[in-house]
Amino acid sequence: MPCLQASSPGSMPYQHHGRGVGCAAEAGAAVGASAGTGTRCGAHDGEVPAEAARHHEHAAPGPGRCCSAVVQRVAAPAEAVWSVVRRFDQPQAYKRFVRSCALLAGDGGVGTLREVRVVSGLPAASSRERLEVLDDESHVLSFRVVGGEHRLQNYLSVTTVHPSPAAPDAATVVVESYVVDVPPGNTPEDTRVFVDTIVKCNLQSLATTAEKLALAAV
Amino acid sequence: MSMAQVCCDSAVTAAPVAGPEAEARARARAERRRRAAEAGRWKHAAAAGTAAADATRKRSLEAGELLVARKHGAASVAGRRREMEDAVSVRESFAAEGDADGGGRRDFYGVFDGHGCSHVAEACRDRMHDLLAEELAAADGSGSAATWTAAMERSFARMDAEAMSAGGSAACRCDPHKCDHVGSTAVVAVVEERRVVVANCGDSRALLCRGGGAPPLPLSSDHKPDRPDELERIEAAGGRVIFWEGARVLGVLAMSRAIGDGYLKPYVSSVPEVTVTDRADADECLILASDGLWDVVSNEAACEVARACLRRGRARWCAEAAALLTKLALARRSSDNVSVVVVDLRRRDH
Repeated sequence: MPCLQASSPGSMPYQHHGRGVGCAAEAGAAVGASAGTGTRCGAHDGEVPAEAARHHEHAAPGPGRCCSAVVQRVAAPAEAVWSVVRRFDQPQAYKRFVRSCALLAGDGGVGTLREVRVVSGLPAASSRERLEVLDDESHVLSFRVVGGEHRLQNYLSVTTVHPSPAAPDAATVVVESYVVDVPPGNTPEDTRVFVDTIVKCNLQSLATTAEKLALAAV
Repeated sequence: MSMAQVCCDSAVTAAPVAGPEAEARARARAERRRRAAEAGRWKHAAAAGTAAADATRKRSLEAGELLVARKHGAASVAGRRREMEDAVSVRESFAAEGDADGGGRRDFYGVFDGHGCSHVAEACRDRMHDLLAEELAAADGSGSAATWTAAMERSFARMDAEAMSAGGSAACRCDPHKCDHVGSTAVVAVVEERRVVVANCGDSRALLCRGGGAPPLPLSSDHKPDRPDELERIEAAGGRVIFWEGARVLGVLAMSRAIGDGYLKPYVSSVPEVTVTDRADADECLILASDGLWDVVSNEAACEVARACLRRGRARWCAEAAALLTKLALARRSSDNVSVVVVDLRRRDH
């Protein structure tokens, strides 16, 4: 709860698509100091849909870390959306900024290691990522960034796909949350602005891709 | 046969001799081989005929190409990056003389530095001059700075709309709905008898080299996100400029204006800044180039290179200057594609 309070004043006007909300290192430090490690981060309460919330829980980020969650609504059934999200070996199916992807180990299941090469114009060249969770029943995918040429250290992401309560057969809610180190010289807010921009862009592309897929299936 | 035999005998006889004449010939052969190797780095586009032509002459460059003509030259290389995402457009007499005041020939030059993929820069190369020609034909005949600004702004807006609705080219096959992250700079110059009109969007640059010891005159201003007025515009629109390996819009893009990049609108704008500059007798040349050059070569150094080529007095000095500037950028370890256009602005009577 203290985290949520701390993040509320920090809402950013540039977020006019989807939503991202995270907690500042300062609040994290306070919580850490008072309660020690293992304290649950409450920054995303109220933003992440209840049915997905348990998959996005994590310990409150300590000093030098930050977190955020981005929510995207998709006008397509959950199965169509999940079929795109779950392809860890084919991020270019929906992610922008991917020039190529090569598997270094594994065949798409948990433990698969991929090397993603990034398109020009971005402050990154490549990213090496390991698939941590692939749950086809709960529609949960998680990956960890373990290397590459970029400034995002110790990045851990969770993506969930759930039918929308309002229209379970026709609409889906996708949530992607992450925890990451704040790079030297930047603030937690800087880091969230940068990462949320990329994640939002990818989830919007996912929505378009899945909607086209669902349309083609009719 | 006997004649051939005699020649062969002479050659054989001459070979072992190590006199000064032989040494001179050997040096000449080595020099010719060096020049041939140097020439091999460039694929020469067909040189333009010297005859004046009314029809539009299309010339475009691709990776590692050199365009040679009397009045201008252009050079383009991928450099240390594997992909070539720059594009260059040279269109002589691209638009009819529309106004009584500035009548005569109009030549179009453009440098487009793409990012994310090459297809937006390629679309600019293929379409920008046509869009501008249409806007000029529709404009009032006054030829005023305001008319030029309006025509350029409409052309850039239409180019931006085309870039964002089209998908990739046959080469890259990007899906239209996954191309939102692709964009390009655009620095465009129209050279008339009396004026040079420049429109710029992004961080490529146009530079006027004047003789008589005058300093180089920038005809464009780079759109970097931390340029004070750009920073103010972005923040007023609700965006952020974050220092993430340089100043970047939302930490992502290192320029504040571009064609394309729909996902960063309205922070990354496609509105060009337009300058209209009267030509002077002392003008020597115009240089358009991508930031692959300007990041490692100053305005002053670029003009000195061009002036040195001019003074050598060769007919195709513009192409020579463009090639030399490109090589200089590579020698200085530019980490980007490099594209350079040099246009001879000297009066005909010189």
